[in-house]
Amino acid sequence: MTDLERALRLVGEDLAFPEAPDVTEAVLARLGPPTRRRLPGSRRVLVVALAALALALAAALAVPPARTAILDFFGLGGATVQRVETLPAVPRSTSRALDLGRPVRLLDGRPDVELPEVLVPRALGPPDAAYASAESYGTRLTLVYAPGDGVPESPYTGVGILVGQFVGEADEGLVDKLVAGGTRVRRVRVGPYPALWLEGGPHAVLFHGDDEAVFADAGRLAGNTLLVERDDVLVRIEGELDRGRAIAIAESLRP
Amino acid sequence: MEDRPLAEGDLVAQALQGDTRAYGTLIREHQTMAFRTAYLITGSAADAEDAVQDAFVKAYRALARFRRGEPFRPWLLAIVANEARNRRRSAGRRERLALRAAEDPLSGGAVPSPEAALLASERREELLAAVEALGEDDRLALACRYFLGLSEEETAAALGWRRGTVKSRTSRALERLRTRLGVEA
Repeated sequence: MTDLERALRLVGEDLAFPEAPDVTEAVLARLGPPTRRRLPGSRRVLVVALAALALALAAALAVPPARTAILDFFGLGGATVQRVETLPAVPRSTSRALDLGRPVRLLDGRPDVELPEVLVPRALGPPDAAYASAESYGTRLTLVYAPGDGVPESPYTGVGILVGQFVGEADEGLVDKLVAGGTRVRRVRVGPYPALWLEGGPHAVLFHGDDEAVFADAGRLAGNTLLVERDDVLVRIEGELDRGRAIAIAESLRP
Repeated sequence: MEDRPLAEGDLVAQALQGDTRAYGTLIREHQTMAFRTAYLITGSAADAEDAVQDAFVKAYRALARFRRGEPFRPWLLAIVANEARNRRRSAGRRERLALRAAEDPLSGGAVPSPEAALLASERREELLAAVEALGEDDRLALACRYFLGLSEEETAAALGWRRGTVKSRTSRALERLRTRLGVEA
């Protein structure tokens, strides 16, 4: 250690941080009964959190009524899609709602981030920006493509196309998407991988941490979306795209 | 503290079984570092406290995803820092660390180390001011590594960077600090 580093440590020892409050009681008072989680058997490692995209929002979701009226259910790895009578009240579009995390530097057109595998769609080329966020389950990486070249601006995101990659450990049901009547959900395949295609109307993207506090967190509305379960990575492609183009983009993903 | 990882692992296991007293022990053990990390990021004691509270609640709900045998602190700090960043963004505020050197370390309850006493208060202020004047990434790297004493792994978790990035940013920040202070390497 150099003298400068030693001096910094000494300064640190004397720094006047505000006194850390004891939050123990306040936290314990907020804990309900423990959550019993289902382990998804053979695939504990997978996935997740679509809606972490929306984590920072403070939108109060009027969800319990919607939750009680689940009409249909689709599952894909760590993500679930539920059809409900009415969507909860979430913001249609704000840049804050995206909450993609920290900007990540691009090196030769690829995000400079430590993940076992970073997928970039050849059909779109290098992204215009990338963001990453460390979550409790692992890492969330989002590639952002600006509107232009036949890619219209999405009314929900304000950008062209978002390509999200969720890598980590999670149990089933960490993520929910709610779709209402106007949205079609189809099971499709992208090469060898199972996928879901959501089209035709906005859907709500939600994050929740456990069974008893579902929807305690916030969400946002999203447009046409393709969800692909690629081994241990959940890929989410969102934009004003038709199914064929979304699948072509997904098929062009390369490490 | 050779048995600490084991004891910590046991506390996590007990908390997973619904033993909130065990979780309370984990909170008490880590809340000071959690708060300081959040404070470095938000620059506000109130926001830091909110971030820490929410982070401990979220961490409890996510305990099933904690890898047994791994150290708890980096995992927790990643959640804390995420909460803190969300608050900083939503508050849209401030860029500077709101830190100052303790006014008179000799009058406090803790007896400073001989080296600390030797580092004149003028020099401390100068160093702090130089750190504050750095860019945000540089400042956070130095603050986590030297002010909080976090390991590279913990700093990487807290700031959402790769470990290699922590290393390179820290060394670059030290270089800039040297330039600012006009000292030799």
